[in-house]
Amino acid sequence: MASEFELSRNITIGQYVPTGSYIHRLDPRIKLLVFTILVLAIALNTSYLGNALGLLLSIYLFWASKIPISYGLSGIKPAIPFIIILAVLQLIFQGNVFSGGTLFFEYGFILITSESIRLVIVSAVRFVEIILLSSVLTLSTSTTELTHAIQSLLSPLKKIKFPVHELSLIITIAIRFVPTFAIEMEKMMKAQASRGADFGSGEWWRIIQRTKDMLPIIIPLFNIALSRAEDLILAMESRCYTPGNDRSAYSVYKALGRDYLVLFIGLLLSFLLFFYPFPY
Amino acid sequence: MPEKPIIEIENLFHTYMKRTPMEHKALMGTSMVVNEGECIAIIGHTGSGKSTLIQHFNGLIRPDSGKVIIDGVDLSKKRIDIKALRRKVGLVFQNPEDQIFEKLIGDDIAYGPFKLGLPLKEVRERVKWAMDMVGLNFEEMKDRQTFALSGGQKRKVALAGILALKPKILVLDEPTAGLDPRSRNELLDKIKFLNKMENLTVIFVSHNMEEVAYLADRVYVMANGTDVLSGTPEDIFTDKDKLQRYQIGTPETVQVLYRLNDLGYNVNTSAFAVSEAANEIIKVLNDGEGENHG
Ligand SMILES: Nc1ncnc2c1ncn2[C@@H]1O[C@H](COP(=O)(O)OP(=O)(O)OP(=O)(O)O)[C@@H](O)[C@H]1O
Ligand SMILES: [Mg+2]
Repeated sequence: MASEFELSRNITIGQYVPTGSYIHRLDPRIKLLVFTILVLAIALNTSYLGNALGLLLSIYLFWASKIPISYGLSGIKPAIPFIIILAVLQLIFQGNVFSGGTLFFEYGFILITSESIRLVIVSAVRFVEIILLSSVLTLSTSTTELTHAIQSLLSPLKKIKFPVHELSLIITIAIRFVPTFAIEMEKMMKAQASRGADFGSGEWWRIIQRTKDMLPIIIPLFNIALSRAEDLILAMESRCYTPGNDRSAYSVYKALGRDYLVLFIGLLLSFLLFFYPFPY
Repeated sequence: MPEKPIIEIENLFHTYMKRTPMEHKALMGTSMVVNEGECIAIIGHTGSGKSTLIQHFNGLIRPDSGKVIIDGVDLSKKRIDIKALRRKVGLVFQNPEDQIFEKLIGDDIAYGPFKLGLPLKEVRERVKWAMDMVGLNFEEMKDRQTFALSGGQKRKVALAGILALKPKILVLDEPTAGLDPRSRNELLDKIKFLNKMENLTVIFVSHNMEEVAYLADRVYVMANGTDVLSGTPEDIFTDKDKLQRYQIGTPETVQVLYRLNDLGYNVNTSAFAVSEAANEIIKVLNDGEGENHG
């Protein structure tokens, strides 16, 4: 029987699943670059075929990284309500904007055309693809590797005095702490439920009441977040961390032939998704 | 008093993060019986599944497989009155001071009773009673700010928040961890009082063997997700082989008595309550003096 409080089970962001696959062993800089470009390409593709290709690709990547696809899909579960709400809104309001194609249905300002249906389906699939792709990336890359990759990809910005190191540190810490806070939140929900709190049993339209019901979790969670941040600062400072200093790295990454091959294929696929006029 | 089981656990299994790469089997066939009015300690090394086990007692975790019966309610059934269960079983989490969220102490303790839908007067009475129980002065403390309290005071507030639900069974996860010796002793005395005078069934998790020796009627030892040993504190602390096998510490008194025994003094090694142990040591000292004079 699944527990009503198991939040962390569905959080895939910020977890690292070491399986030692070749996806794991790729140079993190190239991995990040390829994934970023792929996500952009998918985000801009509006055809059925292109997105089918993207979906296949994301599934393949899960398979290749030896991470169970069911685990990746569990990361989508919490987003399902948003996907549905978004789809409904698009279906109702976007008919006028995407009024091309065949007209299926018309009522007042609501137009449903083959184009607006395409928009709805494509955006839902696209959402899934992007979540899957970013999950593969974070599940197969350790935090250290990710920091390093972000830092080195942004390093050209150093020339214009952009705080590259600080930004990559912030991003990494944010990602790293997602599962930690999921666990904290789970604990807090359990603790407050033990005191008689109940979450989500009120009627959904009583939004104010339901928000109030969440206060016993939200306030302690803020406190915990702040004290965690303080701990982290202490830990970093006691290891002589100084922002803005030049730092050498413990591991030095060197791209191999394999990495360049992956880069080439990734770029090729992205170009395809960008520029190829898919017939459907 | 006839012994009546209030908690019965049989062959309980629990797996965290099921069907993910991080899947972890935390409980693998645990069994345990707690009788009404008993004070039970659960000990075992870190990660042995103690916290996982006690979260079954008020239905925060439902049994994957196995039997959990709390005061006659079978928790493997889908439809049970979970709120009534949580009222009956008060569970105090590890570091409960984190869960305080109201600005004023009184309000925070009153949260549970208000959730029960009790009338204001009754809520007030319960808050007062709960604060008395944990040794916080009602008039003086109820309007104090929660954030400005010490760690020990916060823990008392959190404990009072659970007591105000008037549970029949009190479950505490490492209640004294991180407290200074004085707050620790105060808290232990309160727990003992609740168990002996208010007839609460108490189950607590602890890494501190002095505490176990002081409070517990019976002890369950957990290792790797199962209960490996149970018995009275005497049974457990006098079984040297098993103590070593399951890496259980012993109270300092037991250690001293064992060493005296090894050195050839005739002491009773199961006299581990501080006062009894002191008597044993005085006995040894007196015997020694006797020899010198004679
Ligand atoms: N929410 C969770 N998700 C995943 N795994 C968990 C979770 N909570 C506990 N575990 C794992 O289950 C095992 C048992 O944990 P549990 O908290 O019951 O141990 P414990 O005996 O209470 O330890 P401690 O003395 O350190 O408190 C541990 O290995 C832990 O890593
Ligand atoms: Mg624990």
